[in-house]
Amino acid sequence: MASRGASMVLSRANRIRSKLQTALEATILEIDDVSYQHAGHAAMKENSSDNKETHFNLKIVSPKFEGQNLVKRHRMVYDLLSDELSSGLHALSIVAKTPHETTASK
Amino acid sequence: MATFLSNILFKGIASRSLTTHLSSSSYYGMRYLNTVSNDPDSHDDFKPATKHESSGISLSDVVEKDVKDNPVMIYMKGVPDFPQCGFSSLAVRVLKHYDVPLSARNILEDPELKSAVKGFSHWPTFPQIFIKGEFVGGSDIILNMHQNGELKELLKDIKSKQ
Repeated sequence: MASRGASMVLSRANRIRSKLQTALEATILEIDDVSYQHAGHAAMKENSSDNKETHFNLKIVSPKFEGQNLVKRHRMVYDLLSDELSSGLHALSIVAKTPHETTASK
Repeated sequence: MATFLSNILFKGIASRSLTTHLSSSSYYGMRYLNTVSNDPDSHDDFKPATKHESSGISLSDVVEKDVKDNPVMIYMKGVPDFPQCGFSSLAVRVLKHYDVPLSARNILEDPELKSAVKGFSHWPTFPQIFIKGEFVGGSDIILNMHQNGELKELLKDIKSKQ
């Protein structure tokens, strides 16, 4: 009961962080809540007032992305966050790189 | 009143000639594929009598045909000239860099179509872009492919719009 209470209080951003961190062993994990940029758009108007966390920018660097194309990397993230997507998370902007790619691009 | 009637007529035609729209070979730059809108203002009596299911065309067939018949197909929020979401807007802006016909459906008009597309691609968000029958991704991926030259390569053998 106590743990259930805690997870209710935990923000969506924190839940996203822990889910992605655990599964992807991310070396870099940046999560920006950009919901305010989308607050006015059509689909958001029906949203209940207690669901403000709808849009996030994610930057994830993970060795698990090695050998996966972009569609597969995005699918991995969407799959991990399927509970969030079905409970009011509306859209993600995802940058998904491998550790190798981040050092190569610098 | 005239507008009201023509609106009903238009919706009726749109629902019945869905396949005709799709197989039409006349490109004029952007094409908007019409779907039946679930207009909350219209009285039940005026709603299109033929549902997709009863007309023998399931929505997943519609999606399958869309992506097969249209070399660049985007399911988006709003229409290309008036996107109703920043991500859809971005995807359209990227695709407009290329001289290819762009076919679009507005998933905000049709919640059933929206779920059919999600089920077809197993992808939870919109926009969704299909090129030459293959699911490509959403706005992040199309932007990335534009920046690294993959999109140019993928689109180069598509006949330019007339």
